[in-house]
Amino acid sequence: MLCRLTFHIQPCLRTLFLRTLLIFDLLLFYAAGDAGYEFDVCYTSVLKRAIRTLWLCLDSIDQMWLPVHRTWRLNERHYGGLTGLNKSETAAKHGEAQVKIWRRSFDIPPPTMDPDHDFYTIISKDRRYGDLSEEQLPSCESLKDTIARALPYWNDEIVPQIKQGKRVLIAAHGNSLRGIVKHLEGMSEEAIMELNLPTGIPILYELDKNLKPVKPMQFLGDEETVRKAMEAVAAQGKAKK
Amino acid sequence: MSKYKVLVMRHGEGAWTKENRFCSWVDQRLSEDGVKEARACGHLLKEAGFQLDLVFTSLLSRSIHTAWLLLEAMGQEWVPVVKSWRLNERHYGALIGLNRAEMALNHGEEQVKQWRRSYDLTPPPIDESHPYFLEIYNDRRYSTCDVSKEDLPRSESLKDVLERLQPYWDGTIVPEIRQGKLVLISGHGNSCRALLKHLEGISDEDIVNVTLPTGTPILIELDENFRPTKPMQLLGDQEAIQAAIKKVEDQGKVKQVS
Repeated sequence: MLCRLTFHIQPCLRTLFLRTLLIFDLLLFYAAGDAGYEFDVCYTSVLKRAIRTLWLCLDSIDQMWLPVHRTWRLNERHYGGLTGLNKSETAAKHGEAQVKIWRRSFDIPPPTMDPDHDFYTIISKDRRYGDLSEEQLPSCESLKDTIARALPYWNDEIVPQIKQGKRVLIAAHGNSLRGIVKHLEGMSEEAIMELNLPTGIPILYELDKNLKPVKPMQFLGDEETVRKAMEAVAAQGKAKK
Repeated sequence: MSKYKVLVMRHGEGAWTKENRFCSWVDQRLSEDGVKEARACGHLLKEAGFQLDLVFTSLLSRSIHTAWLLLEAMGQEWVPVVKSWRLNERHYGALIGLNRAEMALNHGEEQVKQWRRSYDLTPPPIDESHPYFLEIYNDRRYSTCDVSKEDLPRSESLKDVLERLQPYWDGTIVPEIRQGKLVLISGHGNSCRALLKHLEGISDEDIVNVTLPTGTPILIELDENFRPTKPMQLLGDQEAIQAAIKKVEDQGKVKQVS
């Protein structure tokens, strides 16, 4: 299918997104391998769930030898003081009204992660963040903040590769990928907040030479899986706020 | 006084190790035991408190998989991994895929040992008629190397291995070590031997007798001129290491007929 598309669209640049998996989805990778996808370079965050997702994928498609670049800029959004809490704990601690504000806001960050937080040392003092300046290392992030630190990496590192005709595979997280999707599709702040990328299913973008998508994002997989993913995304817009 | 430390490791058992076939540039995966070996190594390195900064592997999946398993066991998946053909296993030319025991039977243990262990004896080159030729040279990864595919080896002696490895060591790996990074090299039997020969100044005659056990991290400590400050250390249970060395040596031997 993809071969026919490339024939019609010249030049066609492809970028594949993989939302992070918590559970290895065999069907997903079988589908990708089946379609014979070949990549030239991979990007991921410095969080093990994204890196392991990428490794599982590369193993399945027999391309373990591909160069892989890891960056904190593709990390999941930093939820500050809310890290580790579930929904009911969050509501109990901060009240339903406050939670609603955070959920609906593009640029209001959650409370900071302070030194007394359970995860403060584990995260802030981790060696992998040793090269980050004080300004760069977040203590919390709004979605706007996440996007603001993810996009420069997309623009400075990934885009030049795509423009060279490299086929790119990105294994990352819901909110860091939202940043790229918002940018690629020119989505509004409201629209991106409503979009929840499905997990464990490859998302394909085909881009023209100006890096504009030539069509909406495509989910890859068997008919059933793809249909369910598309329905889930469509239903999000209709969900009660 | 050691200024630098480097970790070198030969990956564990591959599917063909059990069959005693020269695997070389054929992209065989680790066997279940090879996976276990890598994980055990990772735990060992974790217990020893090693904090890696950079990992180098070859382009062969077994070397890369070993690195992944180590990093996973150490909780250091975020450490950058850099891959190069220059760390690939020695290219065994026309001998690729052949069973070591059968060869020992046909040519004698000594000839096999010479091919495996001599410094500058190059096996006959692989050619298009070889069953594994296309599998190797049609592979896309060999179009991404820093030399053109035509210039990649068709057969190598250990000396040839060092010749294509050394520029990578000097030009790419050493600068990282000089910046104070703790580097781990996930290599193969002969690419590790070549590197150790170079670092430790082992003679062409003596290298024949050096056997590296699989799945055993080797710690090398160097001064600021990259000369070893002490003999290399094989990390782990010393009895198990001796057994592992013997296992590798026995692979070249003829099966005893009872």
